[in-house]
Amino acid sequence: MFEILYTSLTLCPIVAALACLILPGKSTRSALVGMTGIILIASSVMLIWNGPVSSTPAFLSSAKFTTFIQIADFALLGLILYFGIKFNNRIISVLSLVQIAVLAAFELFILDGHGAPAGLFCDNLSLIMVLLISIAGSLIVFYALPYMDYHEHHLKLTKTRQPRFFALLLLFIGAMNALVLTNDLLLFYFFFEITTLCSFLLIGHDGNKVSRENSVTALWINSIGGTALLLGTVMIYLQLHTLDIQAVIGKLQGSDAMLIPLGLLCVAGFTKAAQMPFQKWLLGAMVAPTPTSALLHSATMVKAGVYLVIRFAPAFQGTALSTAVAVCGAFTFLSAAALAIGQRNGKKVLAYSTISNLGLILACAGINTHAAITAAILLVIFHAVSKALLFLCMGSIEQHIGSRDIEDMRGLFGEMPKTAMIITMGILTMILPPFGMLLGKWMAIESAAGNLFTLLMLALGSALTVVYWARWAGILMGSDYKGESRPEHLPDMARYPLLTLLGSAIVLSISAPFIYSKMILADFTGTAAYATTNGVMANASGSFAVIPLFMIAIGVFLFALAKSGPGKKGAKIAGPYMSGISGEENGTYVGPMNKITGSVQSNYYLSAFFGEKRLSGVVNATACALILIMIGVSI
Amino acid sequence: MTLVYALLGVVLAPFAGILVAGFDRILTAKFQSRTGPPLLQPLYDIAKLWAKEPMIAHRFQPLCVYIYLAAAMVSVALFFAQSDLLLIFFVQAVGAIFLVIGAFLVPSPFSQAGANRELIQILTYEPLIIIVLAGIYLTTGSFNISAIYAMDKPLLINLPLLFIVFGYALTIKLRKSPFDISASHHAHQELVRGVLTEYSGRMLALIELAHLYETILILGLCSLFWTTSIWGMVVLLALTYLIEIVVDNISARMSFRWMLKSVWTTGLALSAINLIWLYSGGRF
Repeated sequence: MFEILYTSLTLCPIVAALACLILPGKSTRSALVGMTGIILIASSVMLIWNGPVSSTPAFLSSAKFTTFIQIADFALLGLILYFGIKFNNRIISVLSLVQIAVLAAFELFILDGHGAPAGLFCDNLSLIMVLLISIAGSLIVFYALPYMDYHEHHLKLTKTRQPRFFALLLLFIGAMNALVLTNDLLLFYFFFEITTLCSFLLIGHDGNKVSRENSVTALWINSIGGTALLLGTVMIYLQLHTLDIQAVIGKLQGSDAMLIPLGLLCVAGFTKAAQMPFQKWLLGAMVAPTPTSALLHSATMVKAGVYLVIRFAPAFQGTALSTAVAVCGAFTFLSAAALAIGQRNGKKVLAYSTISNLGLILACAGINTHAAITAAILLVIFHAVSKALLFLCMGSIEQHIGSRDIEDMRGLFGEMPKTAMIITMGILTMILPPFGMLLGKWMAIESAAGNLFTLLMLALGSALTVVYWARWAGILMGSDYKGESRPEHLPDMARYPLLTLLGSAIVLSISAPFIYSKMILADFTGTAAYATTNGVMANASGSFAVIPLFMIAIGVFLFALAKSGPGKKGAKIAGPYMSGISGEENGTYVGPMNKITGSVQSNYYLSAFFGEKRLSGVVNATACALILIMIGVSI
Repeated sequence: MTLVYALLGVVLAPFAGILVAGFDRILTAKFQSRTGPPLLQPLYDIAKLWAKEPMIAHRFQPLCVYIYLAAAMVSVALFFAQSDLLLIFFVQAVGAIFLVIGAFLVPSPFSQAGANRELIQILTYEPLIIIVLAGIYLTTGSFNISAIYAMDKPLLINLPLLFIVFGYALTIKLRKSPFDISASHHAHQELVRGVLTEYSGRMLALIELAHLYETILILGLCSLFWTTSIWGMVVLLALTYLIEIVVDNISARMSFRWMLKSVWTTGLALSAINLIWLYSGGRF
């Protein structure tokens, strides 16, 4: 059963990707993409049903497969080298040559028969990742169907480039599923590189100057990560003579040996997760069509980096490296949140928020207690769902109003009531209790209380996060003061993914205690970090009443909503106070010479404190220093 | 039993809040050589606002106001149920955010500027409070309030500097000078009433009520610094509030830039010193 599901989760999207390239016609492609999405969703749900498992399917250990992967590995690196030469980027060329040389030396001289085949490993962490990748990924792909039509119509393309686009999306999802299910470090490296290549091609999809430049940036930064991962892998094999991830973790658990390769793996995770100072590639990625951004930011790509660090966290528990990872993560959480405040470009705010939240997740991985790892996994889940939702909403808004500027979204409720409502709810799920993101943050802060620097940075970052989200949520729902809005048409393929994601964000938040006790707890040995009775998550250091608070929240929300319907009897609606006689139109007043004068509002963006120009230099320098410290403490 | 305490807290808190606000106004008047209003004036104010003709400036305003009030009530209930301090603080933050969103709904320059400034105020006090709570955790080993009551020494002895840091947050949260930046008590300044400008009548009455809950919550947090004797607690609260009133009367409103810079630098430095004492085990 497991092997069939594995095939349909990994091979099926990859085959569908190839079919996308070959088969002509839009309707064939839509049907193909739709079917693949449904297969992915169904298989991932069945995989949960099937439960955790580790197995070595025959085809994975066959000599043919091993040879195929070896060839594919070199072909992949060759392709990256080709792009390095084509775009005249020396870093990419050098790094891919280094990887080719190291890999060749490793395969020819060091690797002796590969030992026992490591096969597949699917614990609850992998299950959660597969579920996120397959479901959020498929929803994003569905949303992309109408989106890309509009996108190409807007660009006035004569020949559609959609086959390439959808092929890459599907390949990406297949590679991510394979990445989180493999137990072989070398295979992990292979899929890690595929996601790098896919993201490079997707970012450069539109083919204009900016997207080409930004895709090259993504490639060279991620090449650093790939090189670090390969070097770490080789060093691990040299000492432990195995590439079996579980065996490696088992051998290293409880010791502070081999911190250098583990540090290299962390660096690889940091580049993928766009942690400071590697954040530049993810910020540039927003030039791609929005479904790409949604995919990169939510369930795939950046989450591969986080997954790598969480996966190996037991191997460096209690070491100086672990503390260093926590400090680096917390620093990214803080600095990215500060930079987000200075931004009025909505997509950039979303990007900084992703970087910041991934920093929080990595800080939890570095704190590395049972409670902190729980926080990390919960944050991975809730961030993926809410961020996919926010990016897709952002895509709809951008197509409708033709701008990414937050200030242009003032009173969006009047133009796009449904989307405005959904994105506002999405934002609230990012910052308010009892939603899951806040539950995760609560766990993170309570776990960090024993670590001065991490704690200070988490406290500051948490406050900064509230500001940039609340500011945005606030202006969206404003509109004409009577609160009237035009009806909005959302295509079905856009509406259902949005509503499903919003529903998931809420339902998953309510079931957080259940997710913990059924899914996360099982991966740990020893006493549980949290007791879950009556929907309250509690331990000696605190308690969070998830379900009781949700019941109160739902009750209050419905009551308050009933009090705010349009045309409530009794409540007159008045225009805003304008320090004088108000004009007929909203927000105007009778000015000098009896002229009707308008008013202009704008949020604070505080660029003197939080602007990129002001902060980027300091932040990058500090982050580089922290990474050096992290490597230094490993030696 | 905890449920009874929680309910009692929710019922009694507004009355306690009215008394505190009444004393505040009388004392402030004395400082300014005025007689001042009767003790129950805050209650009369709310009653009068409630009787006004209902009027709103945006259809979603009541939504925001009711959520603000509910969040304040739930946080007080959690406080009296001796629950998790960090959770109480986050629930309180829901209200603070919805007050801001309500102000953002209306295209009025005054409420928009007020909303932005209120966010800066939240930005200024939130990290300080989280750090103070972490300091409490380091002393008692738990974020639960019940653990503080289990201590045999008052927290103030271990956390003197963090108490000063908490004082900053208290002043900002109570909207006292020099930090009455997003909405001053008197609506005749450049900001009108800032974040509160567009609320009127019943909505404003509910906001006043919610503010009473918040005052009680923040004074409740203050009382946690002396839990070993009831008199110690009363003296600490009375002194703290008296200092708040004096500071309010002798200082002018400052700009939000000044607030952010000065409070973060002083607050973080004091916090770091106090936390390092705690980490090094220097408990005395």
